[in-house]
Amino acid sequence: MVTIEKLTKYYGNNRAVNNISFTINDNEILGFLGPNGAGKSTTMNMIAGFLPMTDGKVTIFGSDITKEPVKAKKNIGYLPEIPPVYPDMRVKEYLSFCAGLKRIPSAKKSDEIKRVMELLKITDVKDKLIKNLSKGYKQRVGFAQALLGNPKFLILDEPTVGLDPKQVTEVREIIRNLKKEHSVIFSSHILSEVSAVCDRVVIINKGDIKAVDTIENLENSLGGSLILHVKIKGNRTTAANIIELTKGVEEISKIDAEGNDFFDFTVQLKTGCNADDVRTAVMTELLKNNIMISEIFTEKPDLESIFMKLINSTGSKSGIEELYEEIKAENPDTKEEK
Amino acid sequence: MFSVYKKEVQSFFYTPFVYVVTALFMFLFTLMFNNALGNLSQATFYFTFPEIFYNGIFYFIFLIPILTMRTFADERKFGTEVLLMTSPVNVIQIIVGKYLANLTAFLFMLAGSAFFPIFTAIKGEVVVSQLACAYIGFFLWGAMFIAIGQLVSSFTESSIIAAVIGEIIMFVFIFIDDFSMTEFIAQYPTIQSFVYSFAAQPRFAYFSQGFIRLSDIVFFISAIIISLAWNYISIEKRRWKKG
Repeated sequence: MVTIEKLTKYYGNNRAVNNISFTINDNEILGFLGPNGAGKSTTMNMIAGFLPMTDGKVTIFGSDITKEPVKAKKNIGYLPEIPPVYPDMRVKEYLSFCAGLKRIPSAKKSDEIKRVMELLKITDVKDKLIKNLSKGYKQRVGFAQALLGNPKFLILDEPTVGLDPKQVTEVREIIRNLKKEHSVIFSSHILSEVSAVCDRVVIINKGDIKAVDTIENLENSLGGSLILHVKIKGNRTTAANIIELTKGVEEISKIDAEGNDFFDFTVQLKTGCNADDVRTAVMTELLKNNIMISEIFTEKPDLESIFMKLINSTGSKSGIEELYEEIKAENPDTKEEK
Repeated sequence: MFSVYKKEVQSFFYTPFVYVVTALFMFLFTLMFNNALGNLSQATFYFTFPEIFYNGIFYFIFLIPILTMRTFADERKFGTEVLLMTSPVNVIQIIVGKYLANLTAFLFMLAGSAFFPIFTAIKGEVVVSQLACAYIGFFLWGAMFIAIGQLVSSFTESSIIAAVIGEIIMFVFIFIDDFSMTEFIAQYPTIQSFVYSFAAQPRFAYFSQGFIRLSDIVFFISAIIISLAWNYISIEKRRWKKG
């Protein structure tokens, strides 16, 4: 288990990371989410023992990173934002050097290098100079370096940035498989990526923790209130009246006009209502009043919206529930634009 | 420490780098050698290699910063510093590993210069003891400046700036000798002896004359230790200040 307690970092008078605490459990992938400049890389550099912290404590499987750096670092595999590769070295040479740095016994060295090269599919470029590799391959070489020696704790700083969509999927798959043996902290500013890979997420902005919770909890806190999209052709006011009076509808949060008499309704449903029933009721009533429906579907509100809210909110909050109340309270101001 | 050393030596010898520097060194040495032969006294046909080393030092100082400029500057430039600092090796091991690698490259250069005495020995006679003494002196002299060059390299991200600052420091060490002899400084004997104590060239001169003095060895070794210790401080300090 890795614990981060009250970690704080000042650059001069500038506070980059403010008093953040969380833990990374064994065999868990923790997503570390925040917009650019939120303090993600700074935090990760501190956890990896590269940057000294202004205040706070990082314990990696029982060893304090500042007090017993060598012991703690033995358990860490770190892939920084820019892969730390030497352009003038060949891939195999580089990995062999890293294996030496990580004190892998020379008997196991070649097997270990082979293993990580196969895992990241870089075996076919092993004799190439790193400077001749593409960004995606460089990234993978850097990733391979982090996996050498099978460290228990992996720190991956935006491992998928600069990769093409196929590589992104591959890397995500690798990360997901790492869970069996490792604890992973994985940073990203892409939300869908985090939700695809991680068990829990820490959301930070401007150095403050905004939320620490599981993906399920994040979704469930929204799950009760589905959103219904209806696109109609016909009278806007009539349609709005019908929809508003249907059982299970909380409110119409937005109406967009599209073309002459096409209107797109975004409707907030009541918590706990059956979405299918509501949809059928709305359809029946609208058709009765000669309003044509060109599109109708329900969806869960995406994590994107909660993320945006979280990083835009000012105060630091402990639980997602608390924040949700705040978001809901602020919501009505988006109502009825046209 | 060994893996850092090995990697550095590889980066010297797997690239043209050390060969180019050695070629330049041997080219300079050839010119000095020809010069010595040209000025050969007609009566004795006698010249000394230590003199070549001594006279050539002004040219050789150009080579040391070129050798050391990349040591830490490139690590910073490529972001590989993070790799070194987050692996289970401590900073002292990294510094010593790199220093030993630089010394290895320097020894390779010295080995290149051995061509001339060997060549001379075939056609004439070489005073081996004197030559060995000059080599020891030249090695210590080089080892000191490599430590300084490596220190300078940790100050900056640009290897060119590291080389230029390195050259400036080399010049200061060369000219400090003459500077301490100027009339102005000579007015104040205490200051003169203080300034003079920093001069590396006269200490090398003793070696080239065939004297191995303990005080000179202590001078070179303490300069090396101070530079490497400062190197450690500069790296740690930058990590703390990094913004």
